[in-house]
Amino acid sequence: MTHPKRIPGSFLAALTACAALTGLSSSALACGGDWGPAMLEYEQDHRPFAVSLAEQQLEDGKLVAAAASVIRSMPHVRTLSAKKSTVVARAQRTLAVALVRSGGALSLKGQVPVYARGKWEGKSQADRQANLEWAAGALRAVSATKADDPSVKTELAEALARLESHRQEARGILEELAKKDLIASPEGYAALAELRRAAGDEPGQRAAAERCRAMAGEGAGLCGAPASAKS
Amino acid sequence: MRVTTTAVLLATVTLLAACDDKPTPTPASSPSVSAAPSGGARALTSGALPHAAAAPVALAGDAAEGQRLVEQYECSRCHQGTGQPAPKLALDCVGCHQQILAGKFPASPAKLAEWKPHVAYYQETPSLEALGRRLEPAYLVAFLQRPEDVRPHLVPSMPRLPLSAEQATHVAAYLTRGERPKAQRLDGADPAHGRALLENKSCGSCHEFSGVAPLTARPKPGVGSEEQQRAIRLAPDLRHTRDRWSPGALVEWLLEPERVKPGTLMPSHSLSPAEARDLAAYLLTTPLEPPRLKALPVRLPVLSRRVRYAEVVEQVIGVTCRHCHGDADLTLGDGGPGNTGGFGFTPRRMDLSTYERTNAGLLNAQGERESVFAKLPDGTPRLVASLIARQREEAGQVDPQVRGMPLGLPALSAEQVQLVESWVAQGRPR
Ligand code: HEC
Ligand code: HEC
Ligand code: HEC
Ligand code: HEC
Repeated sequence: MTHPKRIPGSFLAALTACAALTGLSSSALACGGDWGPAMLEYEQDHRPFAVSLAEQQLEDGKLVAAAASVIRSMPHVRTLSAKKSTVVARAQRTLAVALVRSGGALSLKGQVPVYARGKWEGKSQADRQANLEWAAGALRAVSATKADDPSVKTELAEALARLESHRQEARGILEELAKKDLIASPEGYAALAELRRAAGDEPGQRAAAERCRAMAGEGAGLCGAPASAKS
Repeated sequence: MRVTTTAVLLATVTLLAACDDKPTPTPASSPSVSAAPSGGARALTSGALPHAAAAPVALAGDAAEGQRLVEQYECSRCHQGTGQPAPKLALDCVGCHQQILAGKFPASPAKLAEWKPHVAYYQETPSLEALGRRLEPAYLVAFLQRPEDVRPHLVPSMPRLPLSAEQATHVAAYLTRGERPKAQRLDGADPAHGRALLENKSCGSCHEFSGVAPLTARPKPGVGSEEQQRAIRLAPDLRHTRDRWSPGALVEWLLEPERVKPGTLMPSHSLSPAEARDLAAYLLTTPLEPPRLKALPVRLPVLSRRVRYAEVVEQVIGVTCRHCHGDADLTLGDGGPGNTGGFGFTPRRMDLSTYERTNAGLLNAQGERESVFAKLPDGTPRLVASLIARQREEAGQVDPQVRGMPLGLPALSAEQVQLVESWVAQGRPR
């Protein structure tokens, strides 16, 4: 099969693509912009790679490492717009889930330069609350573009379950997904178990915790103590 | 590790797509067509010598509609000779693999070296050039709806596409472009001499011929020049010839393959017209033993040991599935035919790129989300059912309700299915 000639250099391609991906500016410099010396190490937009790495780390349960990968490659991640760039959307989603799963407090010391740590470390109750609210907002934005994706809904519900004012909404989402066995993670089932417990539904809590433990495998600690240990 | 490889590859594709220039279309010569099989070919299985073409059966396909369908079903992602422009590199299944193997794909030499062994088996498909001078339209119509494995040394097979009978007729009319081979009588041809020629000319160095006494020469896959190996991969099992070819087309083909299909890897053997007729007579009439289909693998009991997601990825999901059920965010919105759609399939939104997305299900026929682990009426989880369906397809048992996976690729082994089934039975631990 023959193909027409294409621009060969991946460097040129990367620069063109970078602007297209981020939507920040058509200038090649926007790929690095003023984000500090880290960029000097890269001759092309490294962020898609950094975000892929972060996603893998999150999947492996390495929350701080995942968050750090995101923040190192996009120090301004909090204020970037996900609407224009899937890379930013993926970065925000990864950071948000890592935040939710660490209760709004990430110990970034030694992982991220001081200037970029901002309030992500959640040193005060107010910072932690603000971080969790940001995470829920970021996940809601992702969910708006992927309305029919249960894995996105599960993560949004997991975040909402951590916010007192949104627990009702979280339970609504998770109960709906649970009916069709579409809760996408053990964390999702753990959140549902907790929400059911708070609502006094004990059999429901046990059932959700059971699913959580099956899915979590060796990581079943996140599902709470087994029913037998409690009684 | 394969998982990160895919991420890197996809990121590269994303970058590439941003500067992908559009190829110029090569419009197909497409007159309105009423293709007609020459008849007779099917009756040959009985062993009678073929006679002149019987009254042609009109095959009332609409070539213009066929052209539209070939575009809709994206045949050019896998085939040359469709009369359609080559797709963008990011969509070009076969073309991209070829570029990787030729070292032309813009990636580091290390990456290319890592990928090459994995794409080697998916680098060619038969070109659809000059189909009208070769295959019988009636065969094409049947093949498109229910493809069979024609080339024993070619790993991928033609996928079962969602083409209706009527659509297949239109596509056949378009692809044959109204071309008809000359009618030809094989009266007096000598099949026994044909068999001797088959031996003398070493046809068996490229072709399998199952169902007849084995030929002395045998294809040696993986041996010889690159071109020799490609020819072996593309050479059909000659037992199918009688279903596919009319006597007239076959004689012309044997005389001068290059004249029928320019660029073909089938060499000319400088046969005389009489020799070509003798060969054709043997190919079309020698009695065949019943086809030897692959046995249906046994379904092994679920494992008692723990099975983790990582192992399922390593053995199954990460090998082929993710190439078609991928992450759309990494590829400018194209998550592959099994996710965002392609090859004429409606988007099923089934993304197997991560654990969570694997749990997020797919769209069912009603457009509602459903778990891929939901049990079918017989208790088999949908995911497992699709793997078993592929094993069945290879054993000749096509289930119209369940499409076999991996689509158009060899079925999984009994052990691989067992692994998936055990993982699902254990509550699919992460
Ligand atoms: C995913 C890749 C793929 C797609 C998409 C695809 N094909 Fe194929 N097709 C194949 C492969 C592989 C073979 C060879 C099968 C064999 O010989 O065993 C094949 C064989 C064929 C053949 C038989 C040709 C011969 O010489 O034996 C025809 C005809 C054909 N395809 C037509 C089509 C049409 C028409 C479409 C679109 C509607 C299409 N294909 C889409 C992969 C594909
Ligand atoms: C832009 C380039 C590109 C395109 C387009 C592409 N592939 Fe691939 N494909 C690759 C690379 C690179 C690998 C090897 C990946 C690896 O080594 O992990 C591969 C590997 C494969 C494999 C082999 C997996 C294995 O190791 O057994 C299959 C099957 C496959 N691709 C199918 C497809 C299909 C079907 C399509 C079209 C829907 C397609 N590919 C489109 C680049 C591409
Ligand atoms: C170098 C390898 C090679 C040799 C030797 C060879 N062929 Fe072929 N043959 C092919 C290939 C490759 C094809 C498929 C051509 C294509 O579709 O472009 C083919 C196609 C055919 C077909 C059409 C089959 C079909 O179902 O479409 C017939 C019949 C055939 N060859 C007969 C013969 C005979 C008879 C001989 C010996 C006189 C022979 N071949 C020798 C490679 C070879
Ligand atoms: C060559 C591309 C391709 C490959 C490789 C592939 N799939 Fe698919 N898959 C598809 C397409 C296209 C559909 C949609 C089929 C339809 O709508 O009928 C699909 C649908 C499915 C379905 C839903 C079937 C149903 O009953 O509705 C399952 C389950 C599935 N694939 C699993 C897998 C698994 C597991 C693998 C790897 C072993 C795999 N697929 C490999 C293309 C592919």
